[in-house]
Amino acid sequence: MAVPGAETSDEALAAQAAAGDEPAFEDLVIRYQARVFRLARRLTGDDGDAQDALQEAFLQVHRGLPSFRGEARFSTWLYRIATNAALMQRRARRRRPAESLEAYLPRFDAKGEHAATPAELHAPCRVEELLDRQILAEKARAGLERLPDLYREAFVLRDLEELPTSEVAEVLGLEPAAVRQRVHRARLMLRGYLGALTGVKP
Amino acid sequence: MNAGLACASGASLLMDYLEDALPADIRRDLESHVAGCPRCTAFVASYRETPRIVREASAVAMPPGLEASLLRFLRARRGN
Repeated sequence: MAVPGAETSDEALAAQAAAGDEPAFEDLVIRYQARVFRLARRLTGDDGDAQDALQEAFLQVHRGLPSFRGEARFSTWLYRIATNAALMQRRARRRRPAESLEAYLPRFDAKGEHAATPAELHAPCRVEELLDRQILAEKARAGLERLPDLYREAFVLRDLEELPTSEVAEVLGLEPAAVRQRVHRARLMLRGYLGALTGVKP
Repeated sequence: MNAGLACASGASLLMDYLEDALPADIRRDLESHVAGCPRCTAFVASYRETPRIVREASAVAMPPGLEASLLRFLRARRGN
């Protein structure tokens, strides 16, 4: 039995929930709902979509629990379901195509040296002192929204939800090297975008 | 430019560098290039700061009331 005071593991709760223990299922919901909502909000860019994805994800978890055999950690399995639910919501609401962030990638001259000055290159570090906190939050969310889907998923899971690269690879069904490549590209674009908010070219 | 590595190649290696996924010799070349290049030093600093800035800006909490309505929704659907 569980050690007194120790939290029951996700996998133990999942096994109980799979056997029809509804309070165990609700314990999992309560444990993860805030993280799933935040993930869905970051992936969809919209409160309503995030709420729908949250509901859909936990419905799918409930349905899938009997066949969840614990090949993956419960959290990895949940993140996969939640990520897919969020992307379905995002796609269902056809948005106008966002202007690409490609223009914010770093620029190099013919010799492969940075085209910008050190001060310009340092600009993204200064957005917090130069912009009002709320404006910065709005702009940063807008930047996230403008990332191509391909890069947004990996970036959100790795850098915003702070999952290890190996777990992001499992969630997305990719090799770790592919995750690193996508996250890197997202960081480069967002870095240039943040710098541009201070009036500086990437 | 120094240590036989251009800024552009260095920049392309940053993620692997920060995740400790580079061979030792390339890692050393990168470190020595960045140490001698003010542009890359600034670039690396901003590259490392970017995820934190976006993370803090997008760290939304669940709207009040959503927790209760989620449980109600799931109970109703499971009851069907």
